[in-house]
Amino acid sequence: MRRHYKQLIIIGIIIILSGLTLGFQKIKIGNFERGGNTILGLSLGLELQGGSHLVYQAINADSKEPFIPTEGSLEMDSLKKSIERRIASAGLGEPIIQIIGDNRLLIQMPGVADPDRAKSIIGETAQLVFKHRKLDVARQIEGLSDNSAINIYASEELNNDTGVTTSGTDQKLGAIYAELSSEDAEIFSNLISRMSDEFYAEYSGQKTFLENPSTIEVSIEGNSSLKYRVFAIQITRKENTNEFLFPLPPNPANESNYDVESANNIIGENGKIFFTEIVGALDEDIGLTGDDLATSYAGTHANSGQPIVNLIFKERGTQIFGELTQQIAGSPTDQIAIFLDETELISPVVESPIVSGTSIIQGRDFTLEQVKDISLLLESGRLPLPIELLKERNVDAILGADSLEKSLIAGIIGLCLVILFMFLYYRVPGLIAGIALIIYTSIVLSILKLFPGNLTTLNLSGVAALILSIGMAVDANILIFERMKEELSQGRTVLSSINIGFNRAWPAIRDGNVSTLITCAVLFWFSQQLGETVLQGFAVTLAIGVVISMFSAILVSCTFLRILANSSFGKKSILYIPTK
Amino acid sequence: MDFAGKRFWFYLISLAVIIPGIIFLIIAPGLKTGIDFTGGSTMNLSLSEPMTQSTLRKELNNLGYSEATIQRLDDNSFFIRTKELNEDKKNAIVNGIQNNFPQQIIEVLSFDLVSPIVANETVINAFWAVLAASFFVFIYILWAFRSVPHTIRYSFAAITALLHDTIIILGIFAILGKLMDIEVNTFFLFAIVTVIGYSINDTIVIFDRLRENINLYPNDNFSKIVNTSIRESLGRSLNTSITLLITLTALLLFGGSTIQTFLLVLLFGVIVGTYSSIGVASQILVSWEENDIKKLFSKKNITR
Repeated sequence: MRRHYKQLIIIGIIIILSGLTLGFQKIKIGNFERGGNTILGLSLGLELQGGSHLVYQAINADSKEPFIPTEGSLEMDSLKKSIERRIASAGLGEPIIQIIGDNRLLIQMPGVADPDRAKSIIGETAQLVFKHRKLDVARQIEGLSDNSAINIYASEELNNDTGVTTSGTDQKLGAIYAELSSEDAEIFSNLISRMSDEFYAEYSGQKTFLENPSTIEVSIEGNSSLKYRVFAIQITRKENTNEFLFPLPPNPANESNYDVESANNIIGENGKIFFTEIVGALDEDIGLTGDDLATSYAGTHANSGQPIVNLIFKERGTQIFGELTQQIAGSPTDQIAIFLDETELISPVVESPIVSGTSIIQGRDFTLEQVKDISLLLESGRLPLPIELLKERNVDAILGADSLEKSLIAGIIGLCLVILFMFLYYRVPGLIAGIALIIYTSIVLSILKLFPGNLTTLNLSGVAALILSIGMAVDANILIFERMKEELSQGRTVLSSINIGFNRAWPAIRDGNVSTLITCAVLFWFSQQLGETVLQGFAVTLAIGVVISMFSAILVSCTFLRILANSSFGKKSILYIPTK
Repeated sequence: MDFAGKRFWFYLISLAVIIPGIIFLIIAPGLKTGIDFTGGSTMNLSLSEPMTQSTLRKELNNLGYSEATIQRLDDNSFFIRTKELNEDKKNAIVNGIQNNFPQQIIEVLSFDLVSPIVANETVINAFWAVLAASFFVFIYILWAFRSVPHTIRYSFAAITALLHDTIIILGIFAILGKLMDIEVNTFFLFAIVTVIGYSINDTIVIFDRLRENINLYPNDNFSKIVNTSIRESLGRSLNTSITLLITLTALLLFGGSTIQTFLLVLLFGVIVGTYSSIGVASQILVSWEENDIKKLFSKKNITR
């Protein structure tokens, strides 16, 4: 007994751990969260557990009308594939996705704990677009004649409605009056009202300052020249005339605004005035989208600790991104604007060229959960078609709750019969094998429960792998017992029969299990390449089962047998020799 | 018992099962693929009064839709997948249920065609994956049995036994499909892969005994060693398969009806897998050693 303390303690610890793992339906240690509201808290597939039943309608991006596929088109198939990928990488379980009719999708997912997150992961279009944002871009005002002003003069600024405060100075402030032709006046008037609208629209977006406001550049060529920018809201049209009033900027000579006189000095006899629209920010499409991403993953910023999404571009993306960043590096008037589903996330300037094909995106108020979901959505690719949720219900397991209950009971009956058979045939060792089998099963189940990801979800393929691995565990025991029996019948003591029997049986157990492990590895690698997650799950579950079966045969069964052989039971070989 | 001497009987038994199976596999439609692979119709059935899932399953079974999967949405409504139905057949189902439950008001809330759950690619992918796995097992056996002469024969024999088992199972289900309308679905795919795993393990256990005995009695005749090895490992072979058969039979008899095809594949797989280790894998080794193929031809030459 004393010799086996170590083994017994190890076995004991493992039994307690797996008992605890299975005993509590939900386990939460720090960030590690496992289990759920199911039998023993195992994660079960849709065959064994009910879940969500969602019906989606594919719609046209523009018209929002139901999508009508043309003959032989593949949009619905690729939609299905994108959603499959998303659900798989979000760890939402093995779904069933079917195309219903022409343009609907049925999605069933096993036991979804957070239906809102599931829906947002399925439904987001997740279109990531990179744009080259140019700041302060001068643009000719469309339609306006080159030399548009018929007449310009400086005069006192109207105090009431210029929109500009003349803030308490007694000095008479100058302003420029420019009279345009009636055609030009209409064009100019439309321009300033559009720009004012944009200004207010952005201003009302609860921003304390405008990031990149558009302006109009006024350029006066007379005795001397003056060039300055004004906001559209600072320009007024004199009622019932074609005259526009422009405020004047501060005069660098005396650090106060130009007065009428100095303004007139600039204009002189034949002064001319020109207008240019300065677009605050112009977003230029560069053909770089989420489709050009190779991978994306969540993380935190090295300096600020803010949650960020890391991006790695594919070859094409790397090239475009590299060229753009080279072109605009160091320029304060160029930015890269990043949009997700048409919402601007961030628009950084580029400090140095990025040719390595990596980038990060930051949002103003990202949480860690959000960056995880965003990177997942980006990685799984955007949906080829937008979708709309039509129906949402709960649904029962595919195999049917009633049928499953019966099968569970039948499985337990089967296990009891096996233990009975083993006891009748192999006597005490058979009983020990039975106990080892129960320990074995609970260890495997707890590993399946603790295993990260959702590959070890117990669906029917998992059950198949489990049955095979239990069969192999029983086989390992039987192999040892048969060899033991042979040694016993040659008149050896019980203890040496156990040891020799085990040594003789080991090569068979090893080779059988190793070849199964090889099969698992190849199946896993292959199905991973091909994206067949169900086969992957089968391989992982079987591999876990096989490894544990070797452990259980070596450690659990043999330790118990040796302990018994050392006790007074060891003397009575009748307990070990099967009935003939 | 002289197993090796009876090897032609073993081959004959195998052929007697394989040939009809292959014939049934070749003549259309071969394996009857279920709605997981073909797609079909779905309907959302709403009832005025609660009904159990098993009652509805029985009804559909009696109407000839044994392949239907039924999911309960709530007490009074069910989501049903069947093979492709037209309007008439759908009405026949509704009327059939109505006849047995006259008090029910049955309403079909939705009725649509759906795509397959499992793409055909998956089956093809699984096939390649299994083929690749077989190749690596072949290599592993070469390494593990390097101590015995003619190692490649062991690799070859093990893979042949595996193929033998797979073809027999496919054949049996082609026959069952014709005779009893049993369809193969996703479950079938996994059951087959499981059977392959079992087959390899079982063959290797017998080969292990051979390996041991060849080194133990290097001067014995190969057939004799094969016989001894089979005899010595027969107890283990029978007991392992009996324990599995007990469990599977219990599940088949007392378990739910929805996984019967799945269990049936495993049940046949255990029987065939155990048989093929003794009757095919080991006997191929004997035939190779005894140059059976050459003898077969030379006998013909003599009779001519």
